[in-house]
Amino acid sequence: MSSLKVSALALALALSACAPVAPSPAPPTEAGATTGTGDSPPGYAGQAWDDILAEARGQTVDFYMWGGSDVINRWISGPVAEHVFTTYGVTLNLVPVSDAPEFINKVLSEKQAGRTAGSVDLMWVNGENFRTLREGELAYGPWAGFLPNSALVDWSDPSVANDFGYPVDAYESPYGKAQFVMIYDTARVPEPPRTVANLLAWIRANPGRFAYAAPPDFTGSAFVRHVCYHVAGGYEPLLGAFDAQVFAQKVAPCFEQLQALEASLWRAGETYPESRARMQDLFANGEIDFDMAYNPAEASSLIAQGRYPATARTFVFDEGTIANTHYLAIAFNAGDKAGAMVVANALLSPELQLSKADPSGWGDLTVLDPQRLPVEWSDRFAALPRGPATLSDAELSARRLPELQSDWLAAIEAGWIEHVLQK
Amino acid sequence: MSATPWRRAAFWVGIAVWALPFAPLFLWPFAGSWLFPAPLPTVWGDRAWSYLLSPGARVGPALLNSLSLASAVSIVAVLLGLPAGRTLALARLRAGGLAYWIFLLPAIVPAQAAAFGLHATFLRLGLADQWLGVALAHLVPVLPYVVITLAGVFANYDVSYEQQAQTLGAGGWMRFRWVTLPLILPGLAVAGLYAFLISWSQVLLTLLIGGGAVTTLPMLLLAFVNSGDHALAAALALVLLGPAFLVLGLATRLARAPGALGPGGRIA
Repeated sequence: MSSLKVSALALALALSACAPVAPSPAPPTEAGATTGTGDSPPGYAGQAWDDILAEARGQTVDFYMWGGSDVINRWISGPVAEHVFTTYGVTLNLVPVSDAPEFINKVLSEKQAGRTAGSVDLMWVNGENFRTLREGELAYGPWAGFLPNSALVDWSDPSVANDFGYPVDAYESPYGKAQFVMIYDTARVPEPPRTVANLLAWIRANPGRFAYAAPPDFTGSAFVRHVCYHVAGGYEPLLGAFDAQVFAQKVAPCFEQLQALEASLWRAGETYPESRARMQDLFANGEIDFDMAYNPAEASSLIAQGRYPATARTFVFDEGTIANTHYLAIAFNAGDKAGAMVVANALLSPELQLSKADPSGWGDLTVLDPQRLPVEWSDRFAALPRGPATLSDAELSARRLPELQSDWLAAIEAGWIEHVLQK
Repeated sequence: MSATPWRRAAFWVGIAVWALPFAPLFLWPFAGSWLFPAPLPTVWGDRAWSYLLSPGARVGPALLNSLSLASAVSIVAVLLGLPAGRTLALARLRAGGLAYWIFLLPAIVPAQAAAFGLHATFLRLGLADQWLGVALAHLVPVLPYVVITLAGVFANYDVSYEQQAQTLGAGGWMRFRWVTLPLILPGLAVAGLYAFLISWSQVLLTLLIGGGAVTTLPMLLLAFVNSGDHALAAALALVLLGPAFLVLGLATRLARAPGALGPGGRIA
């Protein structure tokens, strides 16, 4: 076993010796780092990052992720897979699923069946799903702090260190950032209402022209939280652990408001769009005047694809919109942990984060802290073109609101179903 | 022919009413932009096809998996269903009704209910995440339809043909090849068609037993339907439709054999 490891290391050294010099300005963290900032991950005691690189060479990483976007799939199976193969000898295999619980259930049944070399290596998760992984002891870790590129992340930022209020504790590595934006069409609504209060007034004044997807849809649920923040007089009372008393006092009035709003909604609130996809359809076909998204660049991307009118634009509420981070986790029994860590580190590299943020592709916000980046890289991030409908980083980051803990989310979703949907 | 003009018109209106809802399926894959209320795409484009043809889309391996699974499942299901259907229809079992219902059970019980137990068992047996495991799992919803179709065929079957052949000195294989097979071929083709189509459109069992390691076309399709990307969903649906129609055509050809028994009979 150990002789195999040694020969693999020797092979890796030999290969890296004859590898050509990287052409682009390689970040210092990728070039010469031998260790990450954190302790060695479980199973790798006393080992350096180079040992993980050596073990990873030749591994095939099965990356389970939501596969409903051709832009994202293309990026992963194209540039990313190519990069990790040519640079690290890791084969990246994208496994598309239609919803994260699919692979979580898979890891869970593998645990129940006692399978050790599992088939799920890397997973794209956040929020509720990460909590399920942690509480079911289905996630490997801590490992994320060991990645050389994790030094480029501002871990003191609570929206990075906590995933929907659940401490990350290096059990997942940041992948990208999202912030809720409202989408509208300037051809239909030239001046959108820029606060929640004004939006509610607009909905009442324009019956039938507004809808939100029924929670637990991700985006619809976020919209309900924005209304609840507004009704509660801010997010502050709802932060921290779940409190039934605060919930009854601060959130119950929010359901009353939403219930009263129903008559002014699309189809008089008799039914709600069941998904974000349905919302996109309704907005594109002019049945409703607002859409909403968790990716601030999505509207631009949909315009580029011809799926949204060229006059579509986005805005954030003056009081702010909810922002969160999405992450990469490794299954507790992943068969290719070293390979998975190498891929996660590559996805955290300035090159791939920049290519991910490119609005002509995915346009996902970076998780890297510009302050920690070498100047040539932070300049390149700043120089990224923006899509026609995407707000500036400055405007977005000035209006960021925190996510609530999952218990709050679950309670609000359940409360909405009981007090709004079923009434 | 005495078809009056208005009758012919009514015929074509009927065809249009039937066919029109399918028109978007053939337009969306080539639409660059198609927003309400435009009756046709305003911009044409090849985004869907250029993605599906790129290696990253994995349409090739998924097509291969779907085809090999559906073909293997149909062959095995017909081989297993043949003796079962014949026995159910002809052997006058004491508990024939009960046997019939037991065979039917997997088609009645929701697949979800059985799927999770199946997955746990297959994990222990090392069959999960394998092509073989997925094929075996597909047999569960496929077999009832095959058995019942073939039982229907044999219900109209006259064993005396075989007895006649036997009197004339034909052995077991000869009797099957020259007497039984020609008589039941259309029913066999229909049973095979059911098997192929049920396996071809299977998502839940493939997902759970294959665990993402065995990717099939309907799984790719589902991801795009859920995300609301009509162009890609429609393009994949067309890819999915092709082989299904081919098999349908083949089965109808076989089912037209003269003098043979169809699958319409009832068992006694």
